[in-house]
Amino acid sequence: MAKWGMVIDLEKCTGCQACSTACQMENNRLPGENYQDVLYYTEGKQPTPTLKWFPRPCMHCEEPSCLHVCPTKATFKTADGVVLIDWNKCIGCKFCMIACPYGVRFYTDEKPLIEPNIKDVFKGSGDLSWNPPYKGPQQDNAHGVGIQPNGVVSKCTFCYHKISKAPAGTANLTNEDEATREFTPACVRTCAPTARYFGDLDNPNSEVSRMISSKKGTRLLEHTGNKPQVYYVTGSGAGGGAAVPMGRNGINKV
Amino acid sequence: MNILNTLITRRRFLQAAGATSAGAVALGSGKIGGFATLSEAQAAAPEASGGATVTKSICGQCPARCGIDIYNTNGRVHAIYGNNDHPIANGKGCPKMHLGTYMLYDPDRFKGPMKRTNPNKGRNEDPKFVPISWDEAYKTVADRLNNLRDKGESHKFGLFFGRGWGATDVGLTIVPFGELYGSPNAPIGHSSICSDGSVLAKQCTDGNASYSSYDYRHSNYLLIFGANFLEAFRPYNNNLQVWGYIRGVKTPKTRVTYVDVHMNQTAAAADRALLVKPGTDGALALAIAHVILTEGLWEKSFVGDFKDGANLFKTGQTLDPASFNEKWVKGLIEWWNAELKDRTPKWAAGVTTIAEDLITQTAREFGSTRPAIALFERGAHVHSNGVLNGMAIHSLNALVGSLFAEGGLGYQMGPSYGPSPANAADYMDDYAKNGPHKKMPRIDLKGHEDGYLMAKNMIQEVGKNHLSGKAGYKLDTALFYMTNPVFSTPNAKNEWEEAVKTMFVIDTSPFPSEVAMMADIILPDNTYIERYQDAPTYPFQGFPLAQLRVPAIKPLYDTRTFGDSLIAIGSLIKGPTSEYFKKLESAENIVRHLAKGFEKDPGDNGVKDFETWKAKGCWFKKPYVYRQVRGEFLKWDGKGYNNPMSAEDVKKDLLMTDSGKFEFVSSYMEHKKDWVLAKTGRDPVKYNMPHWEEPKYTGGGDVHFISPKTAMHAEGRGGNIPHAITLLQPAAGGNKGALAEIHPSLASAKGIKDGGRIKIKSAVGEIIATARVTELTRPDTIVLPFEHGHWAWGRWAKALGGSHVDEIVPQQSDRISGMCNYYTGKVTVERA
Repeated sequence: MAKWGMVIDLEKCTGCQACSTACQMENNRLPGENYQDVLYYTEGKQPTPTLKWFPRPCMHCEEPSCLHVCPTKATFKTADGVVLIDWNKCIGCKFCMIACPYGVRFYTDEKPLIEPNIKDVFKGSGDLSWNPPYKGPQQDNAHGVGIQPNGVVSKCTFCYHKISKAPAGTANLTNEDEATREFTPACVRTCAPTARYFGDLDNPNSEVSRMISSKKGTRLLEHTGNKPQVYYVTGSGAGGGAAVPMGRNGINKV
Repeated sequence: MNILNTLITRRRFLQAAGATSAGAVALGSGKIGGFATLSEAQAAAPEASGGATVTKSICGQCPARCGIDIYNTNGRVHAIYGNNDHPIANGKGCPKMHLGTYMLYDPDRFKGPMKRTNPNKGRNEDPKFVPISWDEAYKTVADRLNNLRDKGESHKFGLFFGRGWGATDVGLTIVPFGELYGSPNAPIGHSSICSDGSVLAKQCTDGNASYSSYDYRHSNYLLIFGANFLEAFRPYNNNLQVWGYIRGVKTPKTRVTYVDVHMNQTAAAADRALLVKPGTDGALALAIAHVILTEGLWEKSFVGDFKDGANLFKTGQTLDPASFNEKWVKGLIEWWNAELKDRTPKWAAGVTTIAEDLITQTAREFGSTRPAIALFERGAHVHSNGVLNGMAIHSLNALVGSLFAEGGLGYQMGPSYGPSPANAADYMDDYAKNGPHKKMPRIDLKGHEDGYLMAKNMIQEVGKNHLSGKAGYKLDTALFYMTNPVFSTPNAKNEWEEAVKTMFVIDTSPFPSEVAMMADIILPDNTYIERYQDAPTYPFQGFPLAQLRVPAIKPLYDTRTFGDSLIAIGSLIKGPTSEYFKKLESAENIVRHLAKGFEKDPGDNGVKDFETWKAKGCWFKKPYVYRQVRGEFLKWDGKGYNNPMSAEDVKKDLLMTDSGKFEFVSSYMEHKKDWVLAKTGRDPVKYNMPHWEEPKYTGGGDVHFISPKTAMHAEGRGGNIPHAITLLQPAAGGNKGALAEIHPSLASAKGIKDGGRIKIKSAVGEIIATARVTELTRPDTIVLPFEHGHWAWGRWAKALGGSHVDEIVPQQSDRISGMCNYYTGKVTVERA
């Protein structure tokens, strides 16, 4: 069984947000509620201001604090290492949203970021919170995949409807390999500068394992003990605008 | 303003009328598509078992024409990814690409042909559109055009187009329509509000009236002026791919210096950001050229050298032209003597505000790294001195020998298309050849001595000229295809918006717009997900490439492909025009004819006919057949760049100037010398060389006003796509609209707080905006992305409000290129 994980190369990330929109459409996200956000930071003064950005999916932690606080065991860790929410069990208490140190969980029924509320335009029926006409064929409430029902929390699933169909023993899920393309998470598949890599962290020969080793992958907020399965790598550390969001005083900003 | 709600009547009409002559198109369960029926009409959720049909097509949200895979499961389009067979997309996507699914199902789409019933036009006048049949719509337009032609007034018909591509939309339809019908104003393109500044800069220096193709992947240095590589410059998706490669994979890593007026993503990701005073890019380029020459860094194999081999370029000192042997350039010493010798980094620092040492460092890096590319677009050339700025920047490519070099830049080759179903020249009647329209100037005075003799188009001046009658007449009827000048031209409110009130307006967009709000007839196009279209590539890497748009789903509503509508109208025009368009038959038929060319010249990917083109989504043949290697021009012989080109070949195919060389002293401009001198007042010694001229700032204020394009500008529709709105301006935080970036020093002086409302005024108007107080922008510059402020664009755009930047951009154009000076305005700002 694979332990799925992601590596994001900050030297290559252009901050374009294609990961965000690919995910929005693939996972029917509401405007402004992105499973995959890119965060931007500004520091310094003219004529030498700095602008940095940081792509942030769910970290799919090995020790997910969201899981430990869930009173109904709706949040669970799959055998292949993915943190998911069983919407059939979620009661919408939002403990997990408070427990998550990365801010990557979303509750339905929040006030829409912009008006008119798209949920009123594409109205849902039954327990579906909305019903966009471009919704995908997958709906799997037990794994938190598809249209978010009312009253539950949702989060990035690593595109579980895709990766869970990958043949056993697959080391890398990548757009470049036709055999794995359709099993590759949307954000990884579309990433134009190829800043994202996805594969089996337990396989020492997977591309993600190689990158973590050779490029010294780091994880966000290591001190929390969550042990993310999303790693960040960079080259010189001074190249692009994409960066782990550290302030000049060394304080981590997330 | 009720442009959207009136469409409800469409459904009522269809229910009453049943199937119209056009055949109402069923959606999903077989219900008729209508305004309120979308959610009802949804088919049952497709099975999770997959089985999606993937259609290879072309994105429609920017000029890049990325190949896309459109996923359709059980009649529902639910995903779009890049086409892995396509050389631009390579399976990848930009942030816009994925939103195409939303555009297909945009609830604000027009649902069928309509006519206006309220004769009054204005922002607050409900057009009171009522549904009509396609037959009535076409007949109304054709009768009107036939009537004009009968009266000898066919020149009063204008056809305005924006992102029209290929033979189906332009080459065999729009262009012949104007020729056969007989109007100098059919068509008028949008290039002067797009990027004609670079086209003219290239034409004046190397003889190619075109954008360039680039070989970024083999370049070791990019010096980018205002072409926002990671947010807006085309082909955006491929630029992002290039970036990942040249910065994260390639050895050696390509260095990048980026010049712009504010800190954006490209500036942040580059090795060096130079935040330049607006309109002064040319001064920076001239100083870089100065350093390249005085420090002996020019590429001698391309440029040539001093006869005795010693570098005689000394700041401030003139030279004898005879002392230098020029190779592929012309006029270097003349340029030096008249202009460059005094253009020191110190001088440029005073003009641009960039520190002198940074200019020198940049020049040394650029001049000593091969191959290197200097590129520019809107920003550098969107000023009164724009063509001069562009010529100065492009001249850097000549100095370092990048033209047609590996890792340099070239020009785009066209595809091996088959012959058209009909040749327009065979259908010209006497009227078309000799009618009164032949003596009429274009309404925009393009190509006219009183207007813009050297421009390609002047769409931004049409409104003004129509109102004043400056061209000697006014337009009677105007048809618009993928352009919205009522919103997107300078001083739009006072010019184009007023002008369309006195024209019979036909709009063809699938979506509501400011033009549609003023329209008399709506002939709604299919969205790009639902139609055929061919598209040769925008300048990319030089090798020929043609992609094919294929419907991924039957039209959701009673809409029709633009090409088919124009063919239908043409078929109703009296005389042989009608025969021509009947021969074309349809956009699909055109595409099938084009594909016949591939039978004789199959693509690298095996595409050899219509079916294989459709299956792959594109036809292409690598490589780019021309290459300049250390001053020798070579042509590909099938195995390598082995065939040397003669000077005559180079002049015919590559450096298409009078001299057959790159001209620092432009012969193209010299041909219009009297006109140029009279209209610009430029120095007769250097009017046709790249030289420094202060930009003429307009607007009467004290702060520069810049309105850039952002990554989420989904060919305009970004203004009404809720997902795009929330991601519009990420660096500055614009996730509920666009924010006006204003420097803390200016904000503090005016008592403006972050998030506060501000009033921005120029001589032509004022707008309200929300301030983002930030160090990202220069203290003398306000940056507010163009996108919002639409008043007839759809429900989200309307609810958002926003600031319509073109209401405060004064009307001024580069006299040479005709390029609209969007970024030349100065404004005043105060708390609202």
